[in-house]
Amino acid sequence: MKHKLAISIVSAVLFLLIGIITVSAQGSDKAILSAPTSTPAAAADRVVTTTVKSTAKAKVDTCYDCHAELLDKHPKVAADWKDSVHGAAGVSCADCHGGDPTLDQMKTSMSAAAGFIGVPDRTKTPEICGACHSNVERMRQYNLPTDQYSKYKDSVHGAKLAEGVTQVAICSDCHGSHAIKKASDPTADVYPLNVPALCSRCHSDAKMMEPFNIPTNQFDVYKSSVHGEALLGKQDVRAPNCASCHGSHDAKPPTSAEVVNVCGKCHTATQNYYEQSLHSQLKEAAPKCWTCHGNHDVTKPDENMFTHTASTEPVCTTCHDIQTLDLIVDKAKFANPDDRRCDTCHHQDSWIYEQVLSLKSAMTVADLAYKQGDVMIAEAIGRGMIMNDAESRLAEARTSLISARAAIHTTKLTEVTKLTDKADASAKEAQQMASDKLGENLFRREAMFVAMGVIITNIGILAVVRRRLYKELE
Amino acid sequence: MDRTNPEKPSGLFNGIVDWMDERFQVRTLVQSALHVKIPRKAKTFYLGGITMFLFMVQVVTGSLLALYYQPTPDRAYDSVMFIMSNVNFGWLIRSIHSWGANLMIVSVVLHLLRVFFQGVYKRPRELTWVAGMFLLIVTLVFGFTGYLLPWDQRAYWATTVGTEIAGAMPFVGEFALNFLRSGPDITASTLSRFFGMHTLWLPMTLAAMLLVHLVLFHQQGIADPTKPVSRAKPDASATPEPEGKLLPFFPHYLLSEAIAWYVILGILIILASLWPVGLEAKANALQTPAHVKPEWYFLFLYQLLKFVPRVAGVLAPIVAIPLLVLLPFFDRNPELKPRKRLFAVIIGLLTVAGIIGLTIWGQFS
Ligand code: HEM
Repeated sequence: MKHKLAISIVSAVLFLLIGIITVSAQGSDKAILSAPTSTPAAAADRVVTTTVKSTAKAKVDTCYDCHAELLDKHPKVAADWKDSVHGAAGVSCADCHGGDPTLDQMKTSMSAAAGFIGVPDRTKTPEICGACHSNVERMRQYNLPTDQYSKYKDSVHGAKLAEGVTQVAICSDCHGSHAIKKASDPTADVYPLNVPALCSRCHSDAKMMEPFNIPTNQFDVYKSSVHGEALLGKQDVRAPNCASCHGSHDAKPPTSAEVVNVCGKCHTATQNYYEQSLHSQLKEAAPKCWTCHGNHDVTKPDENMFTHTASTEPVCTTCHDIQTLDLIVDKAKFANPDDRRCDTCHHQDSWIYEQVLSLKSAMTVADLAYKQGDVMIAEAIGRGMIMNDAESRLAEARTSLISARAAIHTTKLTEVTKLTDKADASAKEAQQMASDKLGENLFRREAMFVAMGVIITNIGILAVVRRRLYKELE
Repeated sequence: MDRTNPEKPSGLFNGIVDWMDERFQVRTLVQSALHVKIPRKAKTFYLGGITMFLFMVQVVTGSLLALYYQPTPDRAYDSVMFIMSNVNFGWLIRSIHSWGANLMIVSVVLHLLRVFFQGVYKRPRELTWVAGMFLLIVTLVFGFTGYLLPWDQRAYWATTVGTEIAGAMPFVGEFALNFLRSGPDITASTLSRFFGMHTLWLPMTLAAMLLVHLVLFHQQGIADPTKPVSRAKPDASATPEPEGKLLPFFPHYLLSEAIAWYVILGILIILASLWPVGLEAKANALQTPAHVKPEWYFLFLYQLLKFVPRVAGVLAPIVAIPLLVLLPFFDRNPELKPRKRLFAVIIGLLTVAGIIGLTIWGQFS
């Protein structure tokens, strides 16, 4: 007990001494330091204050000094901050919470007079973060963009927040508050691989989404899509996460008209082909990427996407406004993956149906030739044949086949058959090479039997001679 | 074929032999080389002869491969590919050469084991054993140097780890590594060096050593593994064996040997036809494959190095090989029957089991 008291006295004296020395050393800076830090209206001023203050902070930060020593969650908060990007960059407690970090009395340092605001209000948080993060001068050194705040204001989240709806995501919901990490840090929630899980924290929560009347199954659907499997399964950061299509700070579902550009960010060649098609010229009635591929549930496309497997009754209102007879797209119809087919619109009596069938057969034929080539080459390799030539020919077939798949988006039969014919021809050549090799392999086996026949005969003769010799010996 | 026989058989063949005989006494030569008798109890399992046969197969197929093979990094791979796909029966020649190499390792080791477990390396055959040990080492180096020549990924990386084993030796490791690779890395100079060793140095060395081995063997005749040679009476043949216990080397023994060679030839043809040797992607120093392993006959050493201290693992063969070479000189127990030389037999069995175990372990790890 006595011991503790002594320590407290000594440290109090030391503390005082250091305080006096540092305060007097700061001299003229002091006026700026003690200026109120948090009148949100004066956000621009705030930025300037913090810039200057952070130089002083290197010398005194009573917020940290006390909170690091307190009980409960305080030491963790202090440590989180210290390890965060902000801790490293010298953005201090007072920069977000207000108050005066040079004063060692709680009453004064955390007083309203010193600008202390405590936990920032949710509706105010984006503005507080934006005060620094919109400042080009401050962000330039970190090579960070400065448009997040203005983007956020334009997002669904931001717009709702402005209406006073506080459940929507604010900066700290995604980035954290004290333990803020770089987006490029793989352990950060906002790292591309972690984004789907991050968004789903709220968007898969049925209770939370109820007031907004939006679905909550996107994450589950996305997980088993080609995109989800690539990102979450293969950890391929090039694959799109939620933010790739919806934006992050500017989160909003892309409109139907925007979809082609959104998908085209990665699928450039396909977008080019699509824009050559009649589809693309139909404006509002145009089938878009999602019409055939869906959105969160994009799966690997194949030749079955042309026509329904079972025969279906065409529904006029899928594509026609029953009053004006104008072309339209009934979005609801394409929610079911089974209906994402050409013949959902181009029903069997339409004149385009023939074209659909021709496209389908061109693709099927080329694909079959490719697959057969693959099987034959695998068999020849299994028999120990060296198949490099055939393999590179088959790779050519594959390239043409992939191009043909993309070219389907032109809907022009000649464009597609040009490529499928090429794919088919290369695949057939590869097949021929493989069958030559398989033939050669058969010859090797036959020749082996002949050679073995000769050898066994010789062994037989020698064995007979040997028997006779040994008999003579007896 | 008595030279003094007045009624010499006539015919072209005999005419030629007569002509040669007058000048070079070939009949005496052949007589002394072939017309000897060996103990009936001798059991060689024809393993030495099979190894010799495989060496001859390697010489023939290797010489054919050398007609097309080009020993430079930018040509080696393509020339092997050319042999495999464009040269008539190139695939067969290369496959036999590759399988022959593996079988030769197997048979030379089996031959060694036969000699060891029968105890026939003992007095007076010490030097035959020593020559044999050199043949074993040369055979292993043959395999090691040949493996790099196709210059594919497997070749390149197996040689990388193989030379690293040598590099782990204390004191001389760096020198050994630089010597083997002809520099710190595996480059064009390494390939030239390996090619030169594989096609000039090693065949000549092996042929010379084999000649010594066979001359020694011939001078002493095949050992009878049931009869210890006593120190007091070193010349076992002083008391001649009764005729009934002897077997003419020619034609009886050689005929069986010929049958053994035919069987091996058949096995080679089957292996080469059904499992022709492959070729991986061209060697790429910047792309390490997931599982790098040396050839199977160095695998036990590689595996050993994984869990014993590096120095100990490398020193083990450096100590073991001289010990093995000099075995006949410090194993002074004249007994041949396994029951009467339990210590040697048990050590031998343990070593064999250890090597097989490590090899299997290495294969599956
Ligand atoms: C390229 C390798 C080798 C070849 C071609 C070879 C060849 C032969 C041949 C043809 C024989 C006659 C008896 C038989 O066929 O078994 C023989 C005997 C013998 N070899 Fe080898 N050998 C080789 C390696 C070795 C090795 C590695 C050892 C032991 C370290 C060895 C030790 C002996 C001994 C002691 C004999 C005499 C055995 C007896 O008299 O029964 N040889 N060798």
